[in-house]
Amino acid sequence: MFSGLPTVLVNAALISALYALIAIGFTMIFGVGGVLNLAHGALLMAGAYAYLLLARDTISVPVFESMTLHPLIAFPIAVVTVAVLSYLLYVVIVQFVEDNPIVTFLATIVVALAATEVVIHYAGASTHTYTLIPSDLLPSTVGFGPVDGILTVDVVGFVVSWVAIGLLWLYVTKTDSGRAIRATSMTERGARLTGVNVHAVRARTWLVAGALAGIGGVFLGASASATPGMWLQPLSLAFIIVVIGGIGSIKGSIVAAYLIGFLQTGVGEYLGQNFRGILSLVLLIAVLFMLPQGLFGREFHE
Amino acid sequence: MSSDSAFVRATDAVMAQLRTRLRPVWDAICTVLAPLDRALQPVAGLYNRSLGRHFGTMTGLQFAVITLGFAMIATVPFWSPLYSETLNITFAVASIWAIFAMSWDIQSGYTGYISFGHSVLSGAAGYTIGLLILHYDPSMGPLTTIPIAVLASLVLGLVIAVPSLRLRGPYFSLITLVGVLLFTNLIFAFSEWTNGELGIHQVDPFTYEPWVRYYYMAIPMLAIAVGLTYVARSNVGMVLLTIRENERAVSSAGLDPTKFKISSFVLSSIPMGIGGALLVYYGRAINPVSFVEISNSIEIIALAVIGGMGSIIGPLFGSFLFFFLEEEFLRDFIDDSSTRTLVLWLFVLGVLVFARNGVFRVVWHGLGAVRGDSE
Repeated sequence: MFSGLPTVLVNAALISALYALIAIGFTMIFGVGGVLNLAHGALLMAGAYAYLLLARDTISVPVFESMTLHPLIAFPIAVVTVAVLSYLLYVVIVQFVEDNPIVTFLATIVVALAATEVVIHYAGASTHTYTLIPSDLLPSTVGFGPVDGILTVDVVGFVVSWVAIGLLWLYVTKTDSGRAIRATSMTERGARLTGVNVHAVRARTWLVAGALAGIGGVFLGASASATPGMWLQPLSLAFIIVVIGGIGSIKGSIVAAYLIGFLQTGVGEYLGQNFRGILSLVLLIAVLFMLPQGLFGREFHE
Repeated sequence: MSSDSAFVRATDAVMAQLRTRLRPVWDAICTVLAPLDRALQPVAGLYNRSLGRHFGTMTGLQFAVITLGFAMIATVPFWSPLYSETLNITFAVASIWAIFAMSWDIQSGYTGYISFGHSVLSGAAGYTIGLLILHYDPSMGPLTTIPIAVLASLVLGLVIAVPSLRLRGPYFSLITLVGVLLFTNLIFAFSEWTNGELGIHQVDPFTYEPWVRYYYMAIPMLAIAVGLTYVARSNVGMVLLTIRENERAVSSAGLDPTKFKISSFVLSSIPMGIGGALLVYYGRAINPVSFVEISNSIEIIALAVIGGMGSIIGPLFGSFLFFFLEEEFLRDFIDDSSTRTLVLWLFVLGVLVFARNGVFRVVWHGLGAVRGDSE
């Protein structure tokens, strides 16, 4: 039964890095503005479809009709696009409603539902698959020792995720503009008193979180597929991870992402794919009741 | 807020500009409607003296509009062919969703504990009927299945409410959302019982006659509307509203807020169960897409928000408006269904951002203020 265990473990470790990346963007936005951004999944979807639009000619949209850029060019453009979309989401909608958490909650999920319709309209309801790593550059699967059949795209996703997380860490600890984000998420009043422009910090956080979602989305679409409903699964994952790790905590997100990554992969492998989500949701409920502030979180202030 | 950006300030300025510009139009409307309002006042007075203390008092114009609205809902099959052949069906569906929206409102809109998981309650009723017919006795009629279904959603409501209402704010919303995800996952995990994505199709409808079918949906809806409005206007409704505004005040008055929060959930589960059962016998099928999935819960909230949370009649109005726009009005302009849905969601978003209290409230307070005695 456990013959493929090494492969399962490696796969879990690889996918967990991507989960962490997705969850960090989600948690940062909550940290600085108290906003639960339910459109985060839609931003991931935007990443996958933006890449699809730029690098593949499987969907026909005016202007981008038969555009096939090299992945190395298409990838950064897709990431920047999502970052800008995320920024616009804040500027055009969220900043008007962020004083009321419930309206924000609703507005962001309505954005996600609207995004689904946009995707269906332009790309159809069907599933799109794409390859991110050109086959002439790297083999599509790798293996070593007892581990085999690991998708190269997952390995690259793992590396890129950790690089992005590392850069983010440097940004929020070493630069002034990054430290302003951290200060605002610790205490908004204190940040204001030390001359931080809280509004600008929030907008910047949405930009950074959008970039992380863009990276996550492109890899998520490449390792599975791009569909109009692809936002819900990672959104609920981000939820689970963020609540278990503690809302607003980057460290907590990484730890919880690995916890959930291993749990889901293990359950999916040995109990069946249908049970994949159930155990994590039950774990989430248990955490919410016993440890509402999560592993590394602070109490939510109303 | 002090940290408003230039963009927010600019929008506020535009809105203020717009208000000043529209002022003369509003004044003109008032001059026309005020005499009408005064003329209708005696009739409304009669209502105010007899039923007003149970359902709230109204001005003449408000009374006229409400009466007209109810009369139109009650006679849809007679006048709907004048507009379109499908209006009958559209409003039958709108009735079912109005039940959902009003049920959501008495719990979330009144107590401020926003549930993102109400589709679980109607789903429980739907799946109870489906499973009974599929696995227990295919000949069971609605008279036996519906009470069991309502009981099922009541029990599930309690199972969700009792533990989750210990949590507050976003955490409560989060756990109800998780409830939906869990329920959807369970349906797929036990596909051999529930037929997974395909759902259960062995249900016979009440009737195939469209206009009779409309009344099967509209009569329970109107009864629930009256019942919930009565509750909402009673002391219980007052306590629920106070929980939203200041939960500590409820405790200080010697009342147990938890008890009221749980009863509001129960109060909400019962009509949710009825609505779920109606949806089964209307659509003749139960599947995760049309019953349980998260978009259903969001749609319920959207209907309530368009109309106006915390008013019962608002969500009813919101539901009819939404389905009229989606299935009738927009169909004449936009052929593509995903574009239509997109336009609708953008409309919901606009209401959320710029008219948080809902369209119905705007109309209602406008009607109440034509004589200028209140604003």
